[in-house]
Amino acid sequence: MAREFQRGHKAKISDLTAGTDLYVGVQISGPGLTFDISCFGLDANEQLSDDRYFVFFNQPKTPEDAIQLLGAQAGDTESFRVTLDRIPAHIHKLSFTATIDGAGQMSQIAPGCIRIVAGGEEVARYAFSGAEFSTERAVMLGDFYLKDVWRFAAVGQGFDGGLDALLKNFGGEVAEEEPAVQQPQEAGAPGFAPPAQTAPAPSFGVPATPQTPQAPPPAPAFGAPNVPPQAPAPAPASAPGNPQMYTAPTAAGPMTPPAPAPAPFATQPPGPPAGPPGVPGQPFGGVQAPGPVPAEAGLRVVLTKYAEVAVGDRWTEQNPQQVRATLTKGQPILAKQGSMVAYQGDIDFAYKGSGLLGKLTGQLTGQGMSLMRCSGDGEVFLADEASRLFVIRLEGDQLYTSAHGVLAFDESLDTEIRRIEGAGLPGGGFFSMLFSGTGSVVVKTRGIPVVLPVGPATYVDGNAVIAWSAGAQAVTTTALRLRRSGYASSQSEAINLQFRGAPGNFVVVQPFEV
Amino acid sequence: MDTNMLTAHRAVSTGVRMAVHSAKTLKVTMVTGQDLIAKSGSMIAYDGYVQFEAPPATLRRSAEEMVTGEGGRLMLCRGDGDLYLADYGADVLVVHLADEALSVNGATLLACDATLQLAIEPVKGLAKLSGSGLTNLVIRGTGWVALVSRGIPTVLDCAERETYVDPDALVAWTTNLDMKARRTIKAGALIGRGSGEALQVGFKGQGFVVVQPSEDTGDRFKIRG
Repeated sequence: MAREFQRGHKAKISDLTAGTDLYVGVQISGPGLTFDISCFGLDANEQLSDDRYFVFFNQPKTPEDAIQLLGAQAGDTESFRVTLDRIPAHIHKLSFTATIDGAGQMSQIAPGCIRIVAGGEEVARYAFSGAEFSTERAVMLGDFYLKDVWRFAAVGQGFDGGLDALLKNFGGEVAEEEPAVQQPQEAGAPGFAPPAQTAPAPSFGVPATPQTPQAPPPAPAFGAPNVPPQAPAPAPASAPGNPQMYTAPTAAGPMTPPAPAPAPFATQPPGPPAGPPGVPGQPFGGVQAPGPVPAEAGLRVVLTKYAEVAVGDRWTEQNPQQVRATLTKGQPILAKQGSMVAYQGDIDFAYKGSGLLGKLTGQLTGQGMSLMRCSGDGEVFLADEASRLFVIRLEGDQLYTSAHGVLAFDESLDTEIRRIEGAGLPGGGFFSMLFSGTGSVVVKTRGIPVVLPVGPATYVDGNAVIAWSAGAQAVTTTALRLRRSGYASSQSEAINLQFRGAPGNFVVVQPFEV
Repeated sequence: MDTNMLTAHRAVSTGVRMAVHSAKTLKVTMVTGQDLIAKSGSMIAYDGYVQFEAPPATLRRSAEEMVTGEGGRLMLCRGDGDLYLADYGADVLVVHLADEALSVNGATLLACDATLQLAIEPVKGLAKLSGSGLTNLVIRGTGWVALVSRGIPTVLDCAERETYVDPDALVAWTTNLDMKARRTIKAGALIGRGSGEALQVGFKGQGFVVVQPSEDTGDRFKIRG
């Protein structure tokens, strides 16, 4: 049950797996690009103070074998074995990085991932693609870091300058990089000698069979993953010259059928033949299934990547579009009416009205919030038209939201309706909800939102704003409305809000005007 | 021309029958003799020689049996090449059935191998449900199936706990589950004080349910050639 990480997500390793003997696989590729994938073992100041903990192709393991480079396997471009309980005390962070060797930039990479596998089972995966990067030549993919316990963070931060910039970032001196790189290689050679370039420790079961003499018995045994069935397993995705790739994208051009067919399709007439080229039951050249069927392609296996996330607290982001609320008795939540997609356990849904929220409904024409109270014992999955959801935790803070941006919140939070000051607005005014107290608010946005820092002159459309921090003062403005009225056909009265506030305040805006 | 921005989206050769390109496009490797049943009008591109036909009579008859909202219209694709299918930007979910059965809402089936058996079956235990959900499309056999989901789907395991799902958010489920309807509607709903959650479908047993993060109430443009 792999947990899908997004950029910035963090989790305790112990929440992901009980094992400490982990396999870390990195899948990264790009047309014409080659990558150096390395692991930096950093000290408490995030510096590479000990060169022996820079694991890369020239130095495939650390002195006590806590981190070992295993090479490409099981669909991964590069893989590591990390034994957390053998990492020495002065190493506080392991940073997994990929750098482009030669020309190229990170925006060209194909979708890839970094994943953690324990006991042959993938427990975490952070997928990334070239769209998240631009001209960077190096990227920090993910970190293992020690904060009381070992944790994993999906980083996805790019570096323009490639390996040099990375080394500088970690306090490595580029001038000394070359000797530093050479020394350990010589020093490490004797211990690594006998089968110099072959597999690492022989007792270590690579791919399927997990066998770990050293691993503690209760923990899942270490084993490289089985080839994931949803992955296009044996055929490398971007192999040039792969016979399965169509070289000429025209119907009339020469085509190679994807399976070993006896006659090239180009010998057929290019136009539509008189009949269909093959009658069902008479396979064209006795062709078998195109491509291999995954070895263990059971339904369940294919769908594991969409499975319910294992870890989580009261509010858990199941995926970017769905939130799971774990309810206990006496702690109900309020949610937008009809936003429940599924639940497990004994949950009751009741109309929630009256009070300030009821007044809000009346006051905000077209933006009324109809709420329901979900109470009971169990787990509720909430979603709304595939909007992106964000759980914002308030710890005594205050957050303003607009009514259309709220999906759900803890009933323990205080809500208050505030009217935004400004020049006379048509329709009575612009109201917002102020949340305060301790609890969580689930905010929904159509599309990926923009979070703007509040500057001296930050203007947003009142129909696109979702939330802002309480330190930002909002006033309405008419400047843009005058310009809008220049369009004869523009009947809409967009409310523009100007925000002022101390640095550190933010406004969340969605790319969609309700 | 600088096409760096586009190279990341280049179609890649996968070597498998069905693959998902950037979450929302299905790529099917077509080979003669291995026909494909797809949602009518879902083709967005193809590369090679692919023909689209009305489905054979038995299939058409069963397709006509579907109630409105079950999706209904299917087409038969045959030929050689790469076929790209999509359904209004919905997420595509590819599963391979190994002599298994999956029950899907007719509207959520994007494509499947023609060798699979499609059958319209009444949903057990839900006789009191009116409107959508009375009948469902059951896919049986061995082969590839692609489903669509509005948003990233979630797979819920019904073995651990009884699971209730909003019928509008239901995408598919395994067939060997006990189903029942559960009403949470209260008398208050009659006077306009409903919770918005009137009826759920309950699942229990060894198996799982696929749920989409959208209730699919939007009036999408459904008419296609």
